[in-house]
Amino acid sequence: MPRIAGVDIPEKKKIRYCLRYIHGIGPKAADDILAEAGISPEKRSSELTDQEVSQIASIIDAGYIIEGALRRQVQQHIQRLKDIRSYRGERHRRGLPVRGQRTRCNARTRKGKRKTVAGKKGVRGH
Amino acid sequence: MSRSLKKGPYVDEKLYGKVQRLNAQNKRLPIKTWARACTIVPEFVGHIFQVHNGRHFTDVFCTEDMVGHKLGEFSPTRMFRGHTQKKDRVKLRH
Repeated sequence: MPRIAGVDIPEKKKIRYCLRYIHGIGPKAADDILAEAGISPEKRSSELTDQEVSQIASIIDAGYIIEGALRRQVQQHIQRLKDIRSYRGERHRRGLPVRGQRTRCNARTRKGKRKTVAGKKGVRGH
Repeated sequence: MSRSLKKGPYVDEKLYGKVQRLNAQNKRLPIKTWARACTIVPEFVGHIFQVHNGRHFTDVFCTEDMVGHKLGEFSPTRMFRGHTQKKDRVKLRH
């Protein structure tokens, strides 16, 4: 089974789709890499020769930030916003939406599971 | 949508002039301003701005990391002190 970029072991799918299992490589980047390497995107990853695998690996190494390095970079950017005490950093710190979305309702992705407050709705002051 | 590159960053001209004058004299005085939409440019680094948030002025010390952000981003306009407790709410009702 081919092994590209450390721990990622895509299976018997076409490499075009296998490459997307790597964090930081999406549809566009996958096709770009294969075009640069001159490998048919329709080829199954099990059919790749060792040479083709190493070719893909070297292209990724040269031009793409992936996996741990990418996660670290994103974290650093968020940390910078927090450190300078900007509005966006403050929103990250509080776990609320950062880009101006409403929070009166919804925003569950950022806020997490609903915390029910007793007596918020329904019978209120007769 | 982000601002057109053609126009360049928005910098409040009066404020910019004031900073330039202070830089020429090598002075660092806090500057009171209402120009929250003004982008922080490299010349602002090291200055203290007192940015109005609708109520009072928040001290913003500009560092290199802040370049490219707006002054208003560092002077919050809303204050959230937490939700009312259940006990308090009962009192309000009756």
